[in-house]
Amino acid sequence: MISQVLGAVMLIYLLVAILFLMAELWSSARLQGLGRIVLWLGLGLHTGALTGRWWKSYHLALGHSPTAALAGKLQIMIIQAPLSNFYESLIFFSWCLPALGLLAFRRYFKGYLGAMVALLSTLLLAYASFGVDSQIKPLMPALKSNWLLIHVVTAFLGYAAFALAFGTAILYLFQERRPRPSLPPLPLLDSLIYRTTVLGFLMLTLGIATGAVWAETAWGRYWSWDPKETWSLITWFIYAALLHARHLKGWHGRRIAWLAVLGFMAVLFTYLGVSFLLTGLHSYLT
Amino acid sequence: MSATRIHSKPKSWLWGTLTSIRLTVFLLLILAAVAVIGTVVPQNQPPNQYFSRFGEVWGELLWRGGFTRVYFSPWFLGPISLLAANILACVIHGLPQAVKRTLQPLTVSAALTLPERGRIIWPAGIDPQPLIAATLKRELGHCRQETLPDQEIYLLERGRCRPVGPYLIHVALLLILAGGLIGKFGGVDGQLAIDQGEVAGAFQVAPRVEKPLNFQVRLDKFQVSYYEPGGSPKEFRSDLTFMQDGREVSRATCRVNEPVSFGGLTFYQSSYGAQATGPVRLQVQKGGLNQTVEVAYRRPVDLAGGEGKVWLMQVDGNHQGYGPAVLIASQAGADHPMAFWIFQNLPGLAKSPYHPGLVKQPGVYSFTVESIPFGYYSVFQVKHDPGVGWVYAGFLLLLPGLYLAFFRPVERWALVLAKTPQGTWQGRLLGASPRHREEFAARQERLLTELKRGTQS
Repeated sequence: MISQVLGAVMLIYLLVAILFLMAELWSSARLQGLGRIVLWLGLGLHTGALTGRWWKSYHLALGHSPTAALAGKLQIMIIQAPLSNFYESLIFFSWCLPALGLLAFRRYFKGYLGAMVALLSTLLLAYASFGVDSQIKPLMPALKSNWLLIHVVTAFLGYAAFALAFGTAILYLFQERRPRPSLPPLPLLDSLIYRTTVLGFLMLTLGIATGAVWAETAWGRYWSWDPKETWSLITWFIYAALLHARHLKGWHGRRIAWLAVLGFMAVLFTYLGVSFLLTGLHSYLT
Repeated sequence: MSATRIHSKPKSWLWGTLTSIRLTVFLLLILAAVAVIGTVVPQNQPPNQYFSRFGEVWGELLWRGGFTRVYFSPWFLGPISLLAANILACVIHGLPQAVKRTLQPLTVSAALTLPERGRIIWPAGIDPQPLIAATLKRELGHCRQETLPDQEIYLLERGRCRPVGPYLIHVALLLILAGGLIGKFGGVDGQLAIDQGEVAGAFQVAPRVEKPLNFQVRLDKFQVSYYEPGGSPKEFRSDLTFMQDGREVSRATCRVNEPVSFGGLTFYQSSYGAQATGPVRLQVQKGGLNQTVEVAYRRPVDLAGGEGKVWLMQVDGNHQGYGPAVLIASQAGADHPMAFWIFQNLPGLAKSPYHPGLVKQPGVYSFTVESIPFGYYSVFQVKHDPGVGWVYAGFLLLLPGLYLAFFRPVERWALVLAKTPQGTWQGRLLGASPRHREEFAARQERLLTELKRGTQS
């Protein structure tokens, strides 16, 4: 049931992308508005699917370790957030994109920008529905922690913000090479790249810090140079360099856009490359 | 990393280099490159691993060059120390200035130099002051009002503390690095393996180096449970008793994610295992022939009929949730030895079609387990790290730092109200926000619309 809903959500996001693109081509405010409504519908369903999965894995866990106490139930509720394997991370990642996009882009969430976010989300959901195991499995001991929720949420909000910065940077580079009046103007794109990067940097920092605190309680080491940790630090370095270049050297425009693209490559490697090419503490994906 | 653009009197070349952003970016690049090497080259492996994986020449190069423990080699420690010096220099260089700016409120003379953003002229007979006060309060919060002989000036600034933000972040990073150093030199870190029922008085801090505990710890019981047979592990649990001079002081249960502290040390459940405490007895069948053999580690036993020998490789108290099991190696003639698991409580598993692979018994014999005398042992990470508090303090300090630096835009506003020679009121809106032009422009528009609304009535 939940995977069918997610399949529908994927199609809805695709439809949103098409609506936004058509609205831009025919400069139709009505289609923009429709796109926006359909987007909210998709996001609502997506939220419902996430909640449904949460509810399901909560009940599964309750079956494994029954408890009547409210505190115990709450505890299970927290650690059973649907954020514990690759499939769930993809679903949450694809939820973060439009949610964060609405927050960061606000009224500019339309046209090409809106289509870009909706397409990225569609791709993630497509990936999740095709090659990834979607079974709900009980949590292994290392993941049973209150830190799971906050660590994964901050990390993926960070990834999503960087994905938005990446998409905006790609639009920027296109717009700069071949200016089109239908694309958002360069200064706006530049400031959106910056806004999303700052958001991502805050979230990545929180993700690394909460991960460190969790590692300290789980293994007695807040930092073990595990490949995932190391790559998140490399990613952090790249975005730190971007922010310094902008604030202190006054970099704008193309160079910042390229740095945002580079940073997102590091994000992708941290998320996928590390898990599939290198082994370590974060090998929960398969 | 210095967030200042103030060019004060020329300093030495060294100081100039230490406080330069170029050095920062250079170091970040170097550190990123070294970290990439650290994730591509497996760390802390025995030397032969590198020779077999990278070949003689490269293996030698990696091993001798310190790339196999790269985070503890000069390749990493050098740049990271320089980065710390770089950050520290920038903090020393810019923090006093930032604090000074934060402590200085917006003065009238400074406000009057802000760029003008709009003018409003109210018709004669209207006193705009209540409207101005209400509008500014609603849009910007509490304003300061200064009265000059012929002018009323409303002053407002937001984000005055922003200049401190970047320095808080950098001080936080220094705290985290200091915490790392303090932990490295002032902490202890080791491993403790205890057999169930045994008492330990020392733990291992390096290969073959033990450090005494100033108390004793007993592993009363170790348990591993699974969600379901063949499923994933649910819990690893060690029941511990801490003793002082042979007297019980406290009991605690240590699980993954639930460390236990005693006597200044913290114990983390790290791994476990089981070992045979006596010979394992197997029933071996071949045709109508029945035989009982006792197997032990690394000691092959010949089987009746002479068509093979077996020896014990591993004992597990609850293998994959199916209960006690042994891993047996068997060899027939000059063939390669084959390993397979035998489960004590599931003798039929070997023949079940659903579990091929590791339970399939090779050769002509069929095996069942008669008895597995075994005991669990549990392994703990034991440590005391006085640097953790510093690291956490750094994490906490990052929060206000990031908030001030990135989410607290600096805005300065002044509304100068003066009487024109005709006796009407004229207002000039002045303001600036160096880094958030878009929000500033939006607010400017709202302010001017609101204020001009009063001119129509």
